[in-house]
This record gives sequence, C-alpha cells and structure tokens, in this order.
Amino acid sequence: MEIEVTQAGPAAASPRIGRRHVLGAGVGGAALSLLPFLAGRAQASAGDTTTTAPPLPPTDADVALLGQAQQIELTFVDLFETAIAAADWSDDEAAVMVEFREAHKEYAAALSALLGRHAPNTPSESLMGSLVAGFSGAKDGILSAAYDAESGAVAAHDEILGQLQGTNGAVLIASIQMAEARHCTALAALSGATDLAQLLVDDEADALQVNG
Amino acid sequence: MDQHSTLLPSSDAAATQPAGMGRRGLFRLGGLGAVAAVLAACGQSEAGELGTLGNGPGTPELPAGTVDNGALLRTSASIETSIANAYQRMMDDGLFGGSTAAYPDLGDPMDLVMAFLDHHRMAADTYNELAVGAGDTAWTCGNQRLDEQYIDIVLSRITDGVPAAENAAAIPASDDPLRDAVNLVYVLESLSASSAQALVDQVTEPAMRAASMKVGVRSGRDAAALALRANPGGYLPVSGDAAEIPAPVAVPSRFGSVGANTFLGGAGDENGVRLRLAFETPSLNSMVYSFTEYGDCAPVTDSTTPTT
Repeated sequence: MEIEVTQAGPAAASPRIGRRHVLGAGVGGAALSLLPFLAGRAQASAGDTTTTAPPLPPTDADVALLGQAQQIELTFVDLFETAIAAADWSDDEAAVMVEFREAHKEYAAALSALLGRHAPNTPSESLMGSLVAGFSGAKDGILSAAYDAESGAVAAHDEILGQLQGTNGAVLIASIQMAEARHCTALAALSGATDLAQLLVDDEADALQVNG
Repeated sequence: MDQHSTLLPSSDAAATQPAGMGRRGLFRLGGLGAVAAVLAACGQSEAGELGTLGNGPGTPELPAGTVDNGALLRTSASIETSIANAYQRMMDDGLFGGSTAAYPDLGDPMDLVMAFLDHHRMAADTYNELAVGAGDTAWTCGNQRLDEQYIDIVLSRITDGVPAAENAAAIPASDDPLRDAVNLVYVLESLSASSAQALVDQVTEPAMRAASMKVGVRSGRDAAALALRANPGGYLPVSGDAAEIPAPVAVPSRFGSVGANTFLGGAGDENGVRLRLAFETPSLNSMVYSFTEYGDCAPVTDSTTPTT
C-alpha cells in the first residue's frame, strides 16, 4: 500500500514523492556508493592472483579417499584399545597409549563430520586383520608395531593428500598427518630407541591400504 | 550645564546599548571574533616561511603483490633457508656447547642440529623446485622478516643482551644460552612444520600440498625428537605446568597446529621479564613477492639449486 501526502499551495506544485520513490532513490544511492568498492574488488581479484581457487568441499572422488582415511583412523582406535588391554603399561606409557587412542578417535570423528552421511563409520576389517597380531603381544612388540603402523598411516595420508581436490579435506588430513608423524617419534622414544634415523623415521613405512 | 546637558543624551545612549543588544548582536560579535582568530592564525603560519612553487614528488607506491603458487613456495623456501642459516650461525657462535640445568639429560645436541640443518637445506631446494615448476623463480635467500624481526632479535638477546636506553636499564646476555638455543631450535622446527601445514590451504595443486607436508612431517618429527632429548618423558603437555619457561614436548596437540610458536627466554629485564616472541606462519608481510629484492643476500651458486 502506497501512502502519499498531498499539500495545498506552492508545495503542491512539486511532484509527489511516495515511499517507493524514496526507497528507489535510497537503493540507487546505495548502488552508486558501492560502485567504487565493487570496482576495487574486481580489480583486486584480477590483479592479485594468477591461479584458480580450488574447490572447498570434497568432490565425489575426495569422498572415497576421505572415507578410507576414516576407516584407517577407526581401525587404529581398535588397535590401540587392544594394545592397552594386552600389556602391563607403566603410568607414563599408559597415558601415551590412551592419548593416542583418543586422538585417533577424534580424527575419525572429524572426518565423519566432514563426510556426513557418506562417512563409512566402520573400521577396515582387512587392515585390522593384518595389524592386530602386532598389537596383541609383548610391550616391545606392540610399540614396534604401533610405530610401523603410524608411519604407514602417515604414508597413506601422503598419498591421499596428493589426490584430494577439495581444500577442506586436504586441511583436515594434513593436520591429522602432522600429529601422527609425531606419534612415530614418541613411540620410538617410548620403546627406548636412541637411533636418530629411527626417531626421525628416515624410512617411512609403506602406505596402509584399505580393502574393505 | 549645556555641555553636560548635551553629553547626557549620548551617555544615556551608551548606557542603554547593552540592553539593546539582541541575539543577532551576539552572533555578529562572535563572527567578528572568529574572523579575527582565522586572520591571526594565517598571519602566524606565513611568518618566516617562503611559499613553494611547482609540484613535489608524489607518494611512492609499492607494486601490487601477487600471491600465487610461486610466491607461496618461494616464501616457504625462504623460511627454510632462514632456519638453516640460523642453525649455522648458532653453531658458529658456540651456542650448543656446555650444559644446562634446565635440560640435564640433553647431552650433546650437535647430531640433532646437524641433521635438522641438512633437512632444511633440502626443504628449501624442494620448495624452490616446486616454485620453478610452477613457472616462477627460485629464492635462495632467507626470509627478511623472519631474520630481522625474530631470529636476529632472539640471538642478539641470547648472546649480547640489550644495552641500556634512556628509560630502561641494560639487559645482560642470557643466563642460560644452551637452554635458549634448544628452545629456539624447537620453535623453529615447529614453525617449519606449521608453515608447511598452512601451505596446504593456500596452494592450488594437490601435488604441492603433499610435497609441502613431506617437509612438515619431517620438521614435526625433528621438533618431537629434540623435545624428548631435552625433556625425556615429555611426550604430552602437562596440564597446569607452572614452569617459568615450559619445556618442549613431543606431541603438543592432538591435531597439527598452524598457530604461532612462542619463544620465551633470554635474561630478564629490570623487572624480570624475559623476551617473548610469537613466531607465526608466513603472512602477507613476509611473502617473497616477484618484486622482492635480495638486498644484502647474494644468491647461492649451488648446482642442486634450480635457477632460472
């Protein structure tokens, strides 16, 4: 509904200005005032970068890769759970093993949040079958198996990172990979290793493979 | 009387004038006062100065900095070179000798530092190869901002302290140079790791991200190994750690962090306050842009370093 005011006398000779006109004038003014800003943005975007921005959300191919990563992490939760129950750990050792189990649990949860209904949310049976024996024996054997497995996870994340197109997934995988890289050094030290090549993981393990 | 009688009317007029001054009169007086003040101010500014003719030089403008894959990778190479140069300088200054009460189990850290130095030289080469592959040029110098605003300041505080100023007493050299040197190496390794991780979100090619993280993974492990050598048993952060200078730990957070890495050390000032510097991942003010100049840094003629 339009509200107009009519006046008698000289004022009545001027054209009537309704609310629509006022609003129209306001929008026009706002558009004019934004022109320099928008022009600057256009100029900046043309001159500040020469590369095309990558897509943010995971692509269809990314979803499969990130699903594999989540299966690795969920498998590690079960493996560390097995290890914690299998040996008589000191308080310091137990604190590290429990922390690493919780860390893998959080990695899986973060990947689940990214993947939504596409998240597998199940560990890899094949990976569990190939690794569980190492996590079930004596303490030294467990630490050695965990060291190798974490190194294999770092290598797997490296392969995944080299294929991911979306940056959301890449950023998450990178932050997981960085922490798991440090896990290797911590596990080596926990087992009493002093060899620099072992502490710094000069020889990265083969990438873990998820086949179901 | 006549005279008096003739003066009386004018005296009356003067007496009645204020009563006749209205609002307009006050405005006039105010306006006159303002004009007088402006004229006085103009007169002062002109006193003793000659006017200039012609146009002065315009405000200089920096070239537009393009942040693309090449600039990002060259910047990463510069960070790695700065770190390697810092280690070399620290070794030359003998900062890794002796012992420290802060880290009694440290032993001789030279094997670690030498391995780290080699890693960062190779990391710089890796980033430069990627930059050249992206159609840009290699950068074989350090990062000027990291060198001047962080590393130089820390090393100067450790070795020389700070001379007295007009309003501040002198600060002596470090009370524990080895402790500070180890902490600086830990911070620089963590910086390298977090910078590599931060690059993942910035470059556009998956292969570049993976290559960057290979560097970051190694730096993260360097930091962890050093932490466990200096602080055996320091696997995880201790909640409520009340130490004045917290000892480094192997796994400081559950996820890899791109946050700042803080150095705390040097001798305290007159109030006992030590130097605290937050080393942050590269930002726009530390980029090696296409127009960035070498300055005093001469390019290294290394056959393994790609050049264009």
